[in-house]
Amino acid sequence: MTRAQIIATRLALLVLVLGAWELLPRLGVVNALLLPPLSQVLVTLADLLGRASVQEAVAVTALEVIVAFIIAVPLGAAAGIVIAENAYLSEIFKPVLFYVFSIPKSIFLPMFILVFGIGFQQKVAYAAFTTGFVVLMSATAAVESVRPDHILVARSYGATQSQILWRVYVPSMLPFLLETLRISMIFNFTGVMIAEMYASRTGIGHLIANWGENFQMPQLFAGVIVLSAVAIIFNEGVRALEARCSTWRT
Amino acid sequence: MQHLANVTELRARVDEPAIKVDGLSHVYAGADGGVAALLDITLAVGKGRFVVIVGPSGCGKTSLLMMLAGLRQPSQGTISCLGRPIPKPDPQRVGVIFQEASLFPWLSTLDNIEFPLSLRGVARAERRRRSEAMLRLVGLEGFGERYPHELSGGMKQRVSIARGLVQDPPLLLMDEPFAALDEQTRMTMGHELLRIWSTTQKTVVFITHSLTEAVYLADEVLVMSARPGRIIDHIQVTLPRPRSYEMMATEAFGQLRERIWQQIRKAA
Repeated sequence: MTRAQIIATRLALLVLVLGAWELLPRLGVVNALLLPPLSQVLVTLADLLGRASVQEAVAVTALEVIVAFIIAVPLGAAAGIVIAENAYLSEIFKPVLFYVFSIPKSIFLPMFILVFGIGFQQKVAYAAFTTGFVVLMSATAAVESVRPDHILVARSYGATQSQILWRVYVPSMLPFLLETLRISMIFNFTGVMIAEMYASRTGIGHLIANWGENFQMPQLFAGVIVLSAVAIIFNEGVRALEARCSTWRT
Repeated sequence: MQHLANVTELRARVDEPAIKVDGLSHVYAGADGGVAALLDITLAVGKGRFVVIVGPSGCGKTSLLMMLAGLRQPSQGTISCLGRPIPKPDPQRVGVIFQEASLFPWLSTLDNIEFPLSLRGVARAERRRRSEAMLRLVGLEGFGERYPHELSGGMKQRVSIARGLVQDPPLLLMDEPFAALDEQTRMTMGHELLRIWSTTQKTVVFITHSLTEAVYLADEVLVMSARPGRIIDHIQVTLPRPRSYEMMATEAFGQLRERIWQQIRKAA
């Protein structure tokens, strides 16, 4: 199949799904109360985006996501790199980290609520907690991707410790770190959403949970569309960056 | 008298070997008291000579090379490269080329060759000038903007040689640089290396497993014993230069190869 054919097929599938979303409820094949037609959802979406309360909720969520990300990524990366680089720390902490990593983080959410309440801090703390683990594990793997022979070559040409860091470690790890950034944002977003849906007074996750409970399906789907769009845009943005680094991925 | 003393000192410096190793022994620390890797190695490599070291696997050849490069320090004995000890890597005195080309995949061919210069903060224009000269020397004109994954194994090793030569160090240490290449490429690369060596007048210490390669390249062959590595034979290769592939079929070549083989068999 040529590239054009593949794209045409993908578009056809998209049209099919969206068309089904519009037609099936209208034809009464599925219950329009459970799945409102696409056009109705889009009208609701436009209406919601114009409301101050929704705009505020989106802003709060965005801020939570960004702050949690800014806290979790450098902390997780630094901890991961230190642990991977230090044979002693690695010996002590690695098994423990693997055990903890396997535990679903959401079971700790009630504890976060007890400590931080149900406000901004709780969302940020919980999301940073879940994200930090992912970043830490990936950073450890990224350090292990640095080839010892590259370090030896740099040393033999008289590289200082900081030159080895910036000219060997960083470029070796960059593709992994971008991948980490992308995956950690997925976890980060999920963390904020779960925290908002579980207990909150504002935020888009809180609105979605409410709309669901109140059986406001057009609003619920409109919220899903907004969140999906934001998540996909971020993910694809980082993926485009990754592709630019792919020449040295091998 | 003062004048005479100066002349004597000068003569001593001219005649001084490029590399002098004296009573070098090395023990790797371990739980059970350590492993003796090298035992009482004494050798001298004259300026401009091509010296090949052969020996069974694990005999400490690479350890010795690392020490000559200042990448590792021996437990005992002294090393002098061009009249001075080498407590840490000194790329302007000693260039090292490893078995793996170990090019940085994120740098183009020219940037890889320039890497040692950029570590020292050499200006960009000067770096480019020298890396392009090296690229010509190793016969890779037109490949400067390529990335390592676009090059063949032999080409990568050429780039690695260019990188080793770019600072123009008088001493070149090579640790089985062609071991990862196929036989045909290996022979071509050996021939190329001799051409580069004859134009640059470097002192070369070359480690290999291949006896044919050893005899083909060397002025002198040092044979090392199994661990702990000692020098058990020192063979002068008197074949004329420039060497040609046809020489491999000669009796003299065969005898030298046979003598080294006998020594290695005794050593293993």
